[in-house]
Amino acid sequence: MDDFTCPRCRTSKFQNPSLKMMVNVCGHGLCESCVDLLFLKGSGSCPECKIPLRRNNFRVQLFEDATVEKEVDIRKRVLRDFNKKYEDFNSLREYNDYLEEVESIIYNLSNDIDVVNTNKKIEQYKKDNREQILKSKGKIGRDEYELEEVLELEKQMEEARKKEIHLEVLEAKKKKIREKEALIDELMFSNADAKNILDTFTQLAQQAKEEEVKKPPPKVTQFSTGIQFGRQPQSTFIPVPTDEGPLYSYKALDFPPDGPKPPTLRDILEKGFISHVRSETEQERAGGFKSNIACSRALQDAMMGLFYSKKSVV
Amino acid sequence: MVNLNMENKLKRYEKIEFLGEGQFATVYKARDVETENIVAVKKIKIGSRQEAQDGINRTALREIKLLQELHHKNLIGLLDVFGHMSNVSLVFDFMDTDLEVIIKDNTIILTTANIKSYMLQTLHGLEYLHLNWILHRDLKPNNLLVNSSGILKIGDFGLAKLYGSPNRINTHQVVTRWYRAPELLYGAKQYSTSIDMWAVGCILAELLLRLPLFPGESDLDQLTKIFGVFGNPTEDNWPGVKSLSDYMEFKPFTPIPLKSIFTAAGDDLLDLIESLLVLNPIKRRECSQCLQMPFFSNKPAPTLGSKLPLPQSVRKIRDIEKPSLKRKLLEAAEGGTLSKRLFF
Repeated sequence: MDDFTCPRCRTSKFQNPSLKMMVNVCGHGLCESCVDLLFLKGSGSCPECKIPLRRNNFRVQLFEDATVEKEVDIRKRVLRDFNKKYEDFNSLREYNDYLEEVESIIYNLSNDIDVVNTNKKIEQYKKDNREQILKSKGKIGRDEYELEEVLELEKQMEEARKKEIHLEVLEAKKKKIREKEALIDELMFSNADAKNILDTFTQLAQQAKEEEVKKPPPKVTQFSTGIQFGRQPQSTFIPVPTDEGPLYSYKALDFPPDGPKPPTLRDILEKGFISHVRSETEQERAGGFKSNIACSRALQDAMMGLFYSKKSVV
Repeated sequence: MVNLNMENKLKRYEKIEFLGEGQFATVYKARDVETENIVAVKKIKIGSRQEAQDGINRTALREIKLLQELHHKNLIGLLDVFGHMSNVSLVFDFMDTDLEVIIKDNTIILTTANIKSYMLQTLHGLEYLHLNWILHRDLKPNNLLVNSSGILKIGDFGLAKLYGSPNRINTHQVVTRWYRAPELLYGAKQYSTSIDMWAVGCILAELLLRLPLFPGESDLDQLTKIFGVFGNPTEDNWPGVKSLSDYMEFKPFTPIPLKSIFTAAGDDLLDLIESLLVLNPIKRRECSQCLQMPFFSNKPAPTLGSKLPLPQSVRKIRDIEKPSLKRKLLEAAEGGTLSKRLFF
């Protein structure tokens, strides 16, 4: 379908073969020169539906049908927020329900059904799932990274294949020359009938050709979509250096009291020590101070070092 | 006799370079002539005539009195004290860097194992302090010193004080603001180990974010920043908060889940943060309790000291001090003092 015409200036592909159709979020097309003219100031309104548009949102139209273009645009925008993965759901059923909901939102938006409510729904979802969205964004990044890696690999393979083909061609050329020379040699020095020699050589050549055809075509191992078998997902992660020491286990600090063992905090509470101490005021309690701390310290102060004697130091 | 002793001590430490200057002291790197160890000498300043009349500076006194009795591998060691004229100098273990430098050095990547190691060392030192009835009262990355073999020591005991006495009133103007607990900001006069635990929580957060968690510009701003994350305190989650002397109402904030701030932290790590950064000081966990939390015993194991990352400045110095084998060999081959022969 080459009869694109710009709805504004009526230029068609026929009149101007270098015509480029551009499209914006509303889904109405315009040719490049009209875009330049109308959106000189950077923004303006769509000549068909009059909604305000910005110039830098114009893209080259990829699909014939501008509504498809519009849907692609909306899909991109919606999926940026609705980026949950299958792994985020407990069952296939829930995941399918979620996908269906996303599809209905996209459908509504691209066909201008109930736009206000749908937008509200999106806003609500964004608010509820802010954390989830942020997290999944990282995941998408990783996917893209993987894809890029695959593309790079593909490129390398392509180059290798080109080289191979080039070598093959060279080899074939050499072979031909060799054969020709052999034929001429044979004709020059052999005493056999020239016709016989020619016949045998053409036969040989035909045989060689047939063999070549029989060779299986090289296997296709990769798709540009990035689907590939036997790939380890770990290979894309940068290995974190693990200098594993021993795992930690807690050992309580121990002070030799050098005296009778002072009561523990629990003893203080349960055995009535605390009733001899002024209890903390509300204000002290709010500051994090409790009278059992003071009580415990006083008891420790009293008992520690009671067994100390000068002799034990020597 | 005493004087002679002092004279010897003065000569014992050879100044190598000037390290830094604080409010109360200047610090030099020095060599201990007797043991050939590198040490840090902190010379207490005499600010004014009046201070000089009062005698020795209060912060220095605190440091000397407390550190002379404390011995733990995660506390800075006070090796010696000597005086000259009206000056007092304290000799400490030499520490290459501190956590603040490490946090700000963006060439360093801190893994969970690294952070676990730093936290373990901090909590071990602090547990020892608290069991000895001492509050540090000025915990911040800048005061957590690290040497080139990855040992972390708590330093600067200028504000440290004994706690647990019911009648003594403490000042609430302690701890650098960003690490100050909410009860201090509300003017609590009686407090406990929980103020240090809050600071540890802030430091842990800073290790993760590489930025201060609550960089308040004033005391009030500090409280707004805190409540902006945890929501306003109520009589339910913090009984008695309204009785604190500087209490005031703030405009209502809705709490933010910690998970959205520390997006990369695992659940066991979030548990630790949640038990350290609790508004109500009674509910905040103690060192010993924290050390028993699953985060520390879970994998990955804490990084060994020697494998902890060091800031660029320290790495460079270490390389210079250890001449390469090649250079050593060259020097040996050339016979050291022999001049080079010229070939024509």
